[in-house]
This record gives sequence, structure tokens and C-alpha cells, in this order.
Amino acid sequence: MAHIQIDKREFESLLGEKVSEERLSEDASMLGAHWEHVEGPKWDVEVYPDRPDLLSVEGLARAYRGFFLEQDPEQYDAEEPRIELSKDSSVEEVRPCIGGAVVKGVRLSEKIINGLIQLQEKLHETSGRRREKIAIGLHDMTELEPPFTYRAVRPEQVEFTPLEREEEMHLGRILDEHEKGQEYGWILDEHDKYPVIEDSAGQVLSFPPIINNQLTEVSPQTTDLFVDVTGTSQEAVHRALCIMSLALVERGGDLEQVEVDGRPAPNLSPEKHELDPDYLRQVSGLELSTQEIKERLEMMCLRPQETDDGGLEVEVPCYRGDVLHQYDLIEDVVIAHGYDNAEASEPDIHQHGDEKPVEEFSRVLRDIMVSSGALEAHTHILSSEEKQFGSLERPDSGAVRMRNPLTEDYSIVRKDLLPELLRALHDNRDSRFPQRFFEVDDVAELDDSVTGASNSRRLAYVVSGEDMDYTDARRVLHVLERDLGVYLDLREAEMPFHVDGRSAQILVDGERAGNVGQMSEQVLENWELNRPVAGFELEVEVLEESFRC
Amino acid sequence: MELPPKTYDLLALLRSENELYIGDAENELGIPHPSVNRAALELEDRGLAEINEEQEVREHLTDKGERVVERGSPEFRLVKLVRGGETGVGKIQTELEAGDVAIGKARQRGWIDIKDGEVSLTEQGRSAEDEVRAELEAESFRDEHHDRGLVDTEIDTLRRVSVTDEGEEVEIERIEGFNVTAPATTPITGKRHFYRQIIDEARRRWLEMGFQEMNGDYTVSGLLNFDALFTPQDHPARELHDTFYLENPSESDTTRFGDMVGNIRSAHEDGGDTGSRGWRYDWDEKEAARNVLRTHTTAVSAEKLAELDEEDLPAKFFGVSRAFRNETVDATHLPEFYQSDGIVVGKELSFRDLKGYLEEYFSRMGFEEIRIVPTYYPYTEMSAEVQFHNEEEEEWYQLGGSGMFRPEVVEPLLGFEATVLAWGLGIGRIAMNAADLSDIRELYRNDIETIENTEVWLPR
Repeated sequence: MAHIQIDKREFESLLGEKVSEERLSEDASMLGAHWEHVEGPKWDVEVYPDRPDLLSVEGLARAYRGFFLEQDPEQYDAEEPRIELSKDSSVEEVRPCIGGAVVKGVRLSEKIINGLIQLQEKLHETSGRRREKIAIGLHDMTELEPPFTYRAVRPEQVEFTPLEREEEMHLGRILDEHEKGQEYGWILDEHDKYPVIEDSAGQVLSFPPIINNQLTEVSPQTTDLFVDVTGTSQEAVHRALCIMSLALVERGGDLEQVEVDGRPAPNLSPEKHELDPDYLRQVSGLELSTQEIKERLEMMCLRPQETDDGGLEVEVPCYRGDVLHQYDLIEDVVIAHGYDNAEASEPDIHQHGDEKPVEEFSRVLRDIMVSSGALEAHTHILSSEEKQFGSLERPDSGAVRMRNPLTEDYSIVRKDLLPELLRALHDNRDSRFPQRFFEVDDVAELDDSVTGASNSRRLAYVVSGEDMDYTDARRVLHVLERDLGVYLDLREAEMPFHVDGRSAQILVDGERAGNVGQMSEQVLENWELNRPVAGFELEVEVLEESFRC
Repeated sequence: MELPPKTYDLLALLRSENELYIGDAENELGIPHPSVNRAALELEDRGLAEINEEQEVREHLTDKGERVVERGSPEFRLVKLVRGGETGVGKIQTELEAGDVAIGKARQRGWIDIKDGEVSLTEQGRSAEDEVRAELEAESFRDEHHDRGLVDTEIDTLRRVSVTDEGEEVEIERIEGFNVTAPATTPITGKRHFYRQIIDEARRRWLEMGFQEMNGDYTVSGLLNFDALFTPQDHPARELHDTFYLENPSESDTTRFGDMVGNIRSAHEDGGDTGSRGWRYDWDEKEAARNVLRTHTTAVSAEKLAELDEEDLPAKFFGVSRAFRNETVDATHLPEFYQSDGIVVGKELSFRDLKGYLEEYFSRMGFEEIRIVPTYYPYTEMSAEVQFHNEEEEEWYQLGGSGMFRPEVVEPLLGFEATVLAWGLGIGRIAMNAADLSDIRELYRNDIETIENTEVWLPR
């Protein structure tokens, strides 16, 4: 989610009307960009990733001229190209897509430039995927001699003075030494040639996606600008070029297209989508006439036209790339209508509620365990090999493991509940005794399912206290036997985490269902527990099967 | 004021003594300790007395210490043995049960020399006396006694009761009989965890609203977690710092999903038959096969949709379970969290129905004033954030996300056209409020006192 900071006074002057603070904090968010007052005239606007056209005060003003003032959608036009930008085939491998635009007669100021840089940076971060997918350059045209060329060169082949430097550097040195080179050099990591945009005099305008020549640095005196956008997706480049150059047009500039590889850019023609008013009425649940639908579309800067068959054809401006389906237009209509103004209906699908059988059985188990005097624990699903295996002195038998954990503490999915309950005892070692905890919840086990791992429901119990031992865990097993009417068949066994001779495997109807025992001295020491601990862990599904048949 | 006999007697005693320890009152009044305690608590309740606690550190002899007092310290008994003519180390060790300690301590004090297995007394040894025993007898304890486990420390809590001004002045009357209002101790019981109890209440409300429960595995393919939900493969949410990718098991067998995979591919690339123009890029099945820990329980909803046939409609499902994000742990973030997910699938559902279900659920959960505002998710259109109004702070708080699944999500999963209402709602905030917690980690800490003292939750 991208946040931008804007000045309310600037917003109002672009909008052409004063707006109360209340209206901004209450109603403005209903367009789908969340407004929050920071201080004085400063506002923070949270813009969602589907609307990069709202990442500037210019874009916001355009949208709210429709949403707040119901003005007709802006019609932008451009002059025919006078400048050419040719693309050399050498860029195909490294950064194949480019677009360019000229905007003349722009009135800039320090403040406006900062806003444009914010737009540029936010586009880089979001739809630009940190400059990998797109990167934008803004240039003062005064010193430049068109036509321009976009080509890839060897790192030492060309030199120029990048922004924030006093001396000429070749491209390799910029990557090594310049902050921007260090920050974005990874994008060019696998290439031996780097892209540059040059003019006919051989001056480098830009080394995308890293840095521009300081020769073309934009200042408050700049009036004529050249905008370049490079990247890996032609569609994303096109969209960013429209957003950036139209923001300059909002600042009083006149757009002039550039002939990029034989085609005029930016292409301002809108995309056309069909909208079926009946479908809209059904999906939204709103009884809107076709006229009302048209009005709401216009509030969202979209241009509808009725077709012969009673449908609508909607023109979507070039700066909006989020309309993929008529569903997206329906959302815009409902937003313009107001989510608040859509009255909730009385849900009327009749169906019986049904608990999952394993949840129903787990609920019963929890009741039995509480009646036995235990507190229910609520522990982490994410665990570590040290906790699950090491602390129980048992070999690592394999668990669902993450590729990229931030910390080893949460690097696998628990395989048993028992270690998590020992953790609960550890955390309460200065509390009153005896202590009894249980938990009924899922663990994950590796298997041959589609993903290779499935959940398995478990019940675990621990008891700890000065006079507590194996028998105290055994007694609670009897409570389960009594209340469920199942027989738990105990067989003496050896577990690495139990005291020898005080450890048993539990079978139900001949199937392995878990274990019960008293924790060994070593396990107690691992968990810094000063009193004896006994406990058990059971497979809920095995218990349930025996119970239900 | 009418007071039961023991309480009356204690106050009368306090009036003459001004203040005294519970133990002393016990002797004076000749009634058992718990009764004095109860009487004191009752006086405190009525504002007639104050109770102050004092910690008293008490040292006492351990069993080992008692044996030293009885028979002498091991090192001195060794000296006595040598004086008696016994000089062999082996013999001495069998004679004394703590032979090693005896030899060690005696050497440390410079009482003995050992040469070729023979023990001899030094000058000091010949005139040695059993100081340790004498000190223990005189109860003049030192660190050494603690280190040797001869002495132990116990901390006693002493309650001192003093009379208040009101207690001095109020007119009192002794009434005979059993005091039904006197406080008693709370028994130790088993108890549900407050978080689980709230989750059960949420589940019950969905069940009452006629929803069927769904659940799924923590491990899911990227296909179900992302691609089926129309999240493009270069979407930031899929990056490593948000998502737990799995090393083991690393991949799903996507061939077992059948036609669905091809339909999802088309939805992404050019929209397929969904009426969409798609995201327009080359979709990679290998990327979709990568396993993740589900980043939202919406993956469970996607899986449920994939199971449905046209004749199952209309239908509605819910699930309350955990999802995972690769986040740094702090007071407001954990790598796992609960979501209450729901879907309603039908042929003629609308945005107004979505609002209807959300309002119904939240009003049953005690949230009367909710609203929905536009937001964005790749898989819903009419995407709506659900918020509730906090009266005290005059602010809107987020309760979760909701919307209507896009045709690019619905059609590849179902294989036919339908409308799907969907939501993923938070539940942690309700639990934090119920237990009055400010640190989210407390929800997983299992502090006995917190579990015992947190009231049961029902909407109020």
C-alpha cells in the first residue's frame, strides 16, 4: 500500500474549489483512497495498488473533480510528434520497452517538483516493482538535441556526470560508487551491456533504471520537459507514461507526442469496455436506471455511451489500467453511488448450519479436559526444530519447513503439541502448582497428498507438581475412557523424552493413537522445569473413529 | 454495625492492641488461622481494618544440617577418626558417609595432609574444634552453610492487621450464627482459554446463520493461495518477505488439479472465457506449484469452491482458522493470526446481500455500528473493508476485508458462472479487548493468572 503526502491548498487549487476537512476525512475515502489528516495543510493519502493514477495531487484532483464536483471527465489531447526516439535491438535482452513524451510550457515550482518526484518514486515502488518493471526519467529539454536513441552499451563505453556528482563516470563506476547504482544495480546483475538514452550529439540523458545526467536536471525554471519510461512490460510502460505526462499537463503543460520506434507515444486513446446494465443491477442489487448508471460512471471520469441494444459502451481513460472486466466498471458505479447508500438486504438462503465432525468432536474433548481440571492452552503453530525435536532429546524426523523464515523460532510447523505445552509450563514456572494444561489443535505431517503435507488433529495434556507423576497423566486417560466409552490400550514402550519404565504407547482398536509418560530429567532440564511433569498426546482422528462406531 | 462473633472478637482485640499479626491473633483468640484470615478480610472489606503484608526471611536447618548438629560436621568427624588412630584414606571414606566432603573441607581448613593414602593431622588439625556444628547450634548462619546445603531459606508472608479510625469508632454488635457473606477462597478449576472461547462463539454464530464449516491444511500451493485468487505472479504480496515459502514439501503436484490449472492460466493470460482481458503476461505453472503456508484463509475458500458442483448451489460456508505471514514479531505483529473466512455461492447474489450477511454476523457479535468502505484486493471487485465505530475513541477500526469474487476467480474454480460473496475477518482484536491485553504475544503466552482471571466472553 502506498502512502503519499499532499498539501490541501494545492489540492484545492487544482480541484478549483475549497473542501472542508470533514469532507476529506469522511467522504473522500469513499472513492477508494484513504485520507488522513497529518498536520496543518498536510494530508496523508493511502492509495491502493489498482489506482496508481491517484499517486499525485494532480491525479487526485482530477478524480475528485468528478467524484465531488460531478464535472465532466477531462479530455486530454496531444500534438503530433516532432521528435523521434529510436530503439536499438541491443536493448531487447536487457530492458526492451520504452516510451517518451514531451510536455511544453509547464509552470513548475520547488513544491510541484517535489510532488512529481513523489509520484515518480511511488510508481517505481508499486507498479514499477522497485524499478525492475518500469523506471521513469524527467528531463529539462533545453540542452538536448533530438532525435534520441535508446541502446545498450558496455559499461565502460560511455561516460556522463550523474545527478549528485561533479565528475564524469562510466556506467560500471556508477553502479559501484553511486548510491542509486548500489541500490538498483541488482536489476542489471545478469547483463554485460547496460541501457542508455542519448541525444543526437551523443549526450547521455539517462542510464535507466539507475540515474539521469545532471545536465537535464529539472528546476523551477524548467518549462519544457522530456519524459522517458523504460521497462520490461510495454503495457506498464504505456500506463506510467500516461500518468506522468498527464500530471504535467495538469500543471498547464501542452503534450506533444514522441515517435517511439515509428509509433506515436503516449497513446491517449481510451480503452472501450461493454457494460450490461441488467448485469450491473443484478450484481450490485441496486435499482439504477441506465441514466443513473451513466451519471455515476461519469463521476468516476469514465465516458459511457448507450448502444443500440440498450447496453453501454464505456471509454476508460488511458491512465487507468485496472479495468479488466465489466465487473471493474460495476465497482466504480457502486463506489460513485456510495457503499453507504447500498442498503443491506435480508439474507435469505435457507440452509442448516453444520459443524465439521472433527470440530464437533474436538469441542467435546475440550469439555472433558476442562472437567478434569486442566486449563486450556493456546500455543503457536509455528515452531523450531530445536523446540520440537532437540528439547525432547529425539531425532529430527522431518517437518514442514519454511524456506525463508525471519527467525529460527518460527521456522517449521509443529509436529506435536507436547513441546508447546512444555513451553507453557516453562512460562509459568514461578506460578502456583500443581499445573495442568491441555490443547486440542492441529499439527502438520509430511505425506503423499497433493501438497505433500496435511494437518492432523491432536489432543495433548501435561501435569506438573511436586507430587505429580506418571499416574496423574494415566488418571486423565481414564476420564477420557469413561466419558468417551473408548478403550485405551497401553503398552510399555521407550521414548527418548520419557523416564525409562514410565512410558507407554497408546493403541486404540489396534491402531497407534499416541503416548503417555513421565518426562525425563534431561527434558525437564531443557525446559528449566523444577518439578516432575507427566503427560500424553493423542491422535484425535483415531479416537474419534473408535468413538463414532 | 452487626458483626459475626469471630469478626467481632478480632475487632475488639484490635481496639485494645491497635495492630497485631494474624499469628498472634490466632493465639489470643484461640481460633484457627483461616478463620482469623477470613475475619480480617471481612473487617478490611467493611473498612474497619487494614491488612499489610510483610515478608519475613527465615533460615532453618535442612536434614543435612540437623545431622551435623546431631553428629558433628563431616570434616570434624574425620579429625576425630584420625585422632583415634585411623589414618587410611579408603577406610576413612567408608567410615564417613560424606567422605569426599570431609576430606575436601578438612584440607581446605588446613587440618590434614594426605600422603601415599595416609592422612595425618597438621598443627591446626590437632587443636581443631567443630565450629560449623557450634554455629549451627547457635543458629548463627553463614553463606558457607547455605552453599553446603545445611541451611535453607524460606520466605514467610506475615499479615499485620491494624484498626482504622472507623474501626475504632463504629458501634458494633456481636451476632451469633454463620456468616454467609464472609469471603471464601476460590477453588482451582479447569478453564477454557479465552481466545478459544471467543473463537467458538464466532463459530456458533455462523452455524446459527446456517453456514457449513470448512477447513483446510496449513500447507497450500501458490496455485490456490494466489493464482486461483487472480493474484498476478509478480504481485508484491507473493514476495519472500511477506510469504512463507516451503523448503519441505517444496512443490505441489499441480497435475492433480485437472482442468482448473489451464482455466486459471487463461484467466491470467487473456481472461479465457471469463469476459476479462486478463493480466496479459506469460503465466508460469512452476511458480504456481510452489508450496506456501497459507497467507490467508481465503485459500480454504478457494479450495471449497473447487469442490462444488452446480447442483450444490446456493450454499454458504465458514471457517475460523489460522494463516501465516513472514513478519517480524513485536507487540502488534505475529507470524500467525486467525481469520474468520466465509463464502456465499449462488446465482443471484448481490453486493447488498454481502452487506446483509456482514451486518447480521457483526450484530450477533455485539457490533451494532459497522460500515464498509472501498478498498482493493486482486480477487474481489466491490472490495470492501469492514470497520466498526469505537464510541469512546470516536474512530473507525478495521474488522476485516470482504467483497465479491471476480469472475476471473469464480469461473476457473467452479467451472461455471456464479456469484460469490466472500470475507476474511479478524478476531484477535476482540480477544485482546476481552482480556485487556495490549501486547498481541500475550494471546499465546498461557499465563495461568490471565487465563484464570479473564471473564468469559459474550457480546454485550
